[in-house]
Amino acid sequence: MKVVITGIGAVSGFGWGVEKLWRGLESGATSIREPSVFDVEGQRTTLVAEVGPPGPDAQAEIDDLRNLSRADVFAVIAAREALVRAGVDAGGPRTGVFCGGSTAGMAECEDFVGRIVGVHPGKPTLRLLASQQLNGPGDAVARDIGACGPVIGFSSACASGAMALGAALEAVRSGDVDMALAGGADSLCRLTYSGFNALRSVDPGVCRPFRRDRQGLSLGEGAGMLVLEPLDRAVARGAEPLAELAGYGASCDAHHMTAPHPEGDGALAAMKAALMDAGLESLDVGAVNAHGTGTPHNDQSESCALRRLLGERSLEVPLTAPKGALGHVLGAAGALEAVASVLALECGTIFPTAGSTPADPDFGIDLVLDEGREMFRGKQTWISTNFAFGGANAALVIRGLV
Amino acid sequence: MTQQEKTRERLKKLIIESLNLEGMTPEMIENDAPLFGDGLGLDSVDALELVVALEKEFSIRIEGEETTREAFASVSAMAAFIDGLNE
Amino acid sequence: MKVVISGLGVVMPGAWGWDEAESLFSAADPKPVDIDRSAGYHREGGSRKALLVDSGRMGEWLSPMAARRMSQASRFAVCASLMAFHDAGLKPQSEEGTTAVVMGTTYGAAFVTEKILRQILLEGPESVSPALFTESVANAPAAQIALAVGAKGANTTVTQRQASVIAALKQGVGLLMRGVADRVLVGVVDEMAPLLHSILDRFGGLARPEHNGAEVGRPFDDRGSGWMGADGAAVTLLEPEDIVRRRGGSFRARVLGAGMAFDPGAPRSGWGTVPGPRAKALRAFLVENAGSPRVIDRVVCSAGGLPEADRLEARMIREVLGDGSLPPVLAPAASVGNHGAALLAGSVLAAAGATFGPTPGFGVPDREAGIIPHDGRTLPAPETVLMTVCAPGGSAGWALMARGLEV
Repeated sequence: MKVVITGIGAVSGFGWGVEKLWRGLESGATSIREPSVFDVEGQRTTLVAEVGPPGPDAQAEIDDLRNLSRADVFAVIAAREALVRAGVDAGGPRTGVFCGGSTAGMAECEDFVGRIVGVHPGKPTLRLLASQQLNGPGDAVARDIGACGPVIGFSSACASGAMALGAALEAVRSGDVDMALAGGADSLCRLTYSGFNALRSVDPGVCRPFRRDRQGLSLGEGAGMLVLEPLDRAVARGAEPLAELAGYGASCDAHHMTAPHPEGDGALAAMKAALMDAGLESLDVGAVNAHGTGTPHNDQSESCALRRLLGERSLEVPLTAPKGALGHVLGAAGALEAVASVLALECGTIFPTAGSTPADPDFGIDLVLDEGREMFRGKQTWISTNFAFGGANAALVIRGLV
Repeated sequence: MTQQEKTRERLKKLIIESLNLEGMTPEMIENDAPLFGDGLGLDSVDALELVVALEKEFSIRIEGEETTREAFASVSAMAAFIDGLNE
Repeated sequence: MKVVISGLGVVMPGAWGWDEAESLFSAADPKPVDIDRSAGYHREGGSRKALLVDSGRMGEWLSPMAARRMSQASRFAVCASLMAFHDAGLKPQSEEGTTAVVMGTTYGAAFVTEKILRQILLEGPESVSPALFTESVANAPAAQIALAVGAKGANTTVTQRQASVIAALKQGVGLLMRGVADRVLVGVVDEMAPLLHSILDRFGGLARPEHNGAEVGRPFDDRGSGWMGADGAAVTLLEPEDIVRRRGGSFRARVLGAGMAFDPGAPRSGWGTVPGPRAKALRAFLVENAGSPRVIDRVVCSAGGLPEADRLEARMIREVLGDGSLPPVLAPAASVGNHGAALLAGSVLAAAGATFGPTPGFGVPDREAGIIPHDGRTLPAPETVLMTVCAPGGSAGWALMARGLEV
């Protein structure tokens, strides 16, 4: 059974909605900048891909959601956008929700604990914790759309969003659900920001994926949501599928708690598994939506894994690294980046990586820069990679439907 | 005890405490034994952990990867580095 | 493909391993201890006790040097995983083929999160411990398990509150059915840190001190006032049945299926009073996987003494299995506290025919719940065990297990 994506929604450093996301990505700009709201006092670095305020129309909608955490709001708004695009009223026992995240209501929890230890003003009200749990955003979406099927939160750090998509793919294929809202959402919080800085993993400037002078990642926030359904059901109800979610693969490095396997063993295994799941091989890969965080370790081991996967073709397969534009949105990354892949397929363009410096030549990759690259018919298979803290790896295969 | 001896004692206790080396005592850590790779077998996360612990304990600021690698080679090297900073 | 549980590892308050878990459920005599209140989080007159794992036993499975950077959760999870391999007669790091890991957690890394937040708030961001941060992610236990046993297959962490255990089972079974793993460690782990305990207490979730100062989890009981907070881990090793038989191995229980549902009308932090959509989904699951609800001859549920939760779960069970003919209902949370490990371990033991004593804490039936949990009488080993959980916020899950091979 083919499983297709019929709706997409996004919230990112470029703004609220997929239109702003695409305009930002295709322009080669970056949304990583000095924060207006997020507190970076006392931190080693200061840049973030912060989600700015919405336009006045959207503000009213968001004000209605005032009891939810910031991450919940991102998820709900993105899900609503995806459903509008899909042209469907989801809900009921045949709809499931699969949502990745690593922070959920942590920002609000930090405030609660701050008040408890007397460092923040105000009383520690329990309302601050109402959405603290990691399943908060997924549950918020399920309540919003009236889903009665399986609702599952995934929290595997940077691979969460991709895992949620993989689980949704499986649920649709197996007939567990007829429709799935799948994605991820994360909001900036001091625990994560401080933590990555404690590991000295954050670039003091804007991250530079796959560049020789890269120094680390840039953190961001946002959400990506996708509507998945079986192709024949989508067609039967007159929907216009945007792309196919063709495959999912996962693995674990079992190497070290923070450093990836240096030759990318686990990354390679996940990519191969995703292609196999899609009934494809490495020859079919037309473009790579890389994990590309900009840390010395990741980009090294990821490019090694890609060279092993693509062999002689590694310099011919265009690669783009959206984290240069969007920052690393952690639990939402796999999903937001999948939305980017779908947009690229829709518009026929592989969006560029932010920044003009070419890739480290030793990596042997074809890093797309400047105006982006046209995506040719017959080359419309993306592999999207997501490698987490702790060595969990996930890869998705997303294809155009021509 | 000389200043360097005192510093080395403090460092050994700090290493054991901040890296949770349960069951180890200061006597078990040799002054010149390598701390990373072979020897104690500490890794990059331990190195970062030590930086935080040292910065707190000695009220100093440690920057630069090269500095760290040399300074953290052994307890003696660390003690010399710390005492050097405090001069 | 038939999926079986070839091994179970258990790290619970009062029980390390299968034999001790069996004794514990049979004796049904939980021993709560005081939670550390020195940080001053706890409110006056609130809950002060919890059921906590004796972590002094860790050395039997994990050396202090190996565990030095692990959170409590990671330690419990790794020990339980090593135990599961051992219970299955397999050696970690040496088995051929791919091992995958699916872990669930309700609260994640409670201790570590508290510590890091205190570091940031009281000392500043530069004081954050890098090693602690690496253990602050919900998937740290799954990652540590992978390192400990050499599991290079899929590594997934699910976070769907108390329903995480079912989500993990579902995902784990799926990996085997799709042929992308040769065996899967499926489990659940939780910590009970003082800050978390105090928060659960403030939400009214924990058993309040009774007139004699005791705090008791009383499932389906009129005097129930909340759960017993608890920590622990349970990890099962799932394999295809024919693989286990081919090596002459044995298995504790079969997994016949798992399912989940959601009630969008339930309150965000509660259960609601209407089992409606959840009961409907459970009935559909039973019809599809067991043929009929009548086939169930044992229920292992998540009820732990919180009235709103227990009543909703009871109503759901009664609506589907029929009021007049309920099979014996076990509530393992009464013995080891409210967490997924209690439910997972309790279910596997029940399916394997273990003896369960009278339900601790139960004495006066709550008429609104309308379930009398198991009273300790001798029961024949069950054919088909139904495992149920209802989480706050509207998620519910269930799984079916059947007897394994006689060991």
